[in-house]
Amino acid sequence: MDVDTDVPMHDAVEDQLDSTLDEEAPGFDNGLASSSPGTSGIADNKATKPVELTGSSIGQLDAWLEKLSQCQCLSEEDVAKLCKMAVDVLQFEDNVQPVSVPVTICGDVHGQFHDLIELFKIGGPCPDTNYLFMGDYVDRGYYSVETVSYLVALKVRYPSRITILRGNHESRQITQVYGFYDECLRKYGSANVWKMFTDLFDYFPITALVDNKIFCLHGGLSPMIETVDQVRELNRIQEVPHEGPMCDLLWSDPDDRGGWGISPRGAGFTFGQDISEQFNHTNDLSLIARAHQLVMEGYAWSHQQSVVTIFSAPNYCYRCGNQAAIMEVDDTMNRQFLQYNPSVRPGEPTVSRKTPDYFL
Amino acid sequence: MAIKRLINEHDMELWNNSKTFEDVIGFINTLALSVRGRENNDYTQPISDNVQRVSNLLSKVTEIIGKHEVIKDANTSRFGKIEFRDFYDDISEHSNELISKIFEGIEKPDTGKLDDICTYFINSWGDRSRIDYGSGHELNFICFLYCLTESKVFDLENDSSNIVLMLFIKYLGIMRSLELKYWLEPAGSHGVWGLDDYHFLPFLFGAFQLSTHKHLKPKSIHNPEVVEMFQDRYLYFGCIAFINKVKTTASLRWHSPMLDDISGVKRWSKVAEGMVKMYKAEVLQKLPIMQHFYFGYFLKCPEGVSEPSARAQDHHEDDSCCTDGSHGHSTWADCCGIAVPSAIAASQMANKDVRLFPFD
Repeated sequence: MDVDTDVPMHDAVEDQLDSTLDEEAPGFDNGLASSSPGTSGIADNKATKPVELTGSSIGQLDAWLEKLSQCQCLSEEDVAKLCKMAVDVLQFEDNVQPVSVPVTICGDVHGQFHDLIELFKIGGPCPDTNYLFMGDYVDRGYYSVETVSYLVALKVRYPSRITILRGNHESRQITQVYGFYDECLRKYGSANVWKMFTDLFDYFPITALVDNKIFCLHGGLSPMIETVDQVRELNRIQEVPHEGPMCDLLWSDPDDRGGWGISPRGAGFTFGQDISEQFNHTNDLSLIARAHQLVMEGYAWSHQQSVVTIFSAPNYCYRCGNQAAIMEVDDTMNRQFLQYNPSVRPGEPTVSRKTPDYFL
Repeated sequence: MAIKRLINEHDMELWNNSKTFEDVIGFINTLALSVRGRENNDYTQPISDNVQRVSNLLSKVTEIIGKHEVIKDANTSRFGKIEFRDFYDDISEHSNELISKIFEGIEKPDTGKLDDICTYFINSWGDRSRIDYGSGHELNFICFLYCLTESKVFDLENDSSNIVLMLFIKYLGIMRSLELKYWLEPAGSHGVWGLDDYHFLPFLFGAFQLSTHKHLKPKSIHNPEVVEMFQDRYLYFGCIAFINKVKTTASLRWHSPMLDDISGVKRWSKVAEGMVKMYKAEVLQKLPIMQHFYFGYFLKCPEGVSEPSARAQDHHEDDSCCTDGSHGHSTWADCCGIAVPSAIAASQMANKDVRLFPFD
């Protein structure tokens, strides 16, 4: 294997590396980096009402989308611009974002960029196909930055064609533990891009309602939420809390046991079939669609088809050997699952090798 | 009784500067230095009776694994196989009896100390409830070895290298079989951005083994023939071989950029040095890992660390309770009837740092 022909990374700002790493490198702090919400400045000059895209911003977005579709990350400056534009789209969305059919519903992606591109091949390109993503775009995979940049750029470019919900990994605390933070440092040499995106995550809607019948969210139900209207009353523009309804919606899992149970994850709850059926009945729903758990076939029914789990990261972490799936819901609310396998990785990564500070 | 104590950044600061911290890293350093230039089976002769007894104990663990086959459906909602819990309970039940055998013919520690040793031993095999394993569990095995050393089972002068080459390697082999058999999830995995899904210390010890090698270089990990030839002779190559075996569909550069980056370091001695720094920063100084660290008789909790009443010990590990619908709240430290009595506890509860870091 020829390992020395590294192609320099796009947008790597080599000169900045040494001066910024000292402050931000994981390992030279005692735990987690300082992460006060809002300090990235992306939400400093928010619009007071929805803004129409201008010709020049469409041109810019298309150029970014072109670059991102090649799996090349945007410059830090462009990420800042993109995040500002995204705040002005996402801040006007509802906690329970209404979505109409037809729509294709997708689960966790976790930075597996090439598999996301495969997903768009299977499901059809955006905006020709409407998409609803249920969170967990970042962490663990190699290309969380490219993945989340691409989805956010699509959202800004085609706001009514794609919905991107928040997952439990779209959080400052979790991304510092599970990889996105490390990746941003590694690719940009500072935590600025991580700060911008995690500030942006606060604006992502937390649930969606497809034709008033399919309730979509990342995790599951909360013992503090009986009706969809109660979700509408939450203040979602904040870091994912450690407890309470917003936390549960992003963290809970369905379980074979009835009632509410303690989640082994240490956040959210497990909920049984009785809970799901009651919730669907109360809210006149036909289905709860959620993601959050790896399922070998890419999708899995539970609670006698009152809950479906969709997972869209094939061979998760290059290790799990699972298929991925997406769920198409057509005009007449018919559902169809499309499964797919990992895409073939094109050659070697384009990121150049860099010795971690510990080994200098 | 050994208990968990570290809950916030202030605790971490006290821990990082504590004698216990120094004792733990000092012990690891002593072990690492003792295997410089040694291959896996290059034991120090004669092998002491006590090392042999601990080796026998580990053989018992393998026997116990054999008693708990995976029977239930592979596609249950949690990814790990639930039979792991039967194995875990079996180990927990017999640990006292098994560990007592180590002390045949030498002075047996009193019950309290023996309980501490059992705690570290049991926690070496992963998390029962979450069916996962990570570097924190690996650290428990080191603590177990440390306690045995303090109890005069080992004489570091003669036994150090055998502790690593016989006992740690045997432990690693058992962990591999547990990981594969019960599909243990990687606890707190950084995905591709971490060193490894499960382990840290085999890389550290492995780099020390190689630090005097004349021909093998860190970049040799990319040479499949070298990896094959040396996987049974050096821990580091064994780890690379294992990763290549379980992570299919992509090369090391994709799924392990950290190992790839480290392979750019010129000398193994530099890798070894870096591994110690990295272990301190990424394991011993990380709250998400150290919140689960047990302090007791052998490894004393530093003065001033939050009182144990400020957190509920292990309440997440007991998932049999709170399954009735009446459990309609989610305060992590007062469920399951565990009271939070003191004023210190109350003020700690107001501080969000008290919350344990949730899993995945």
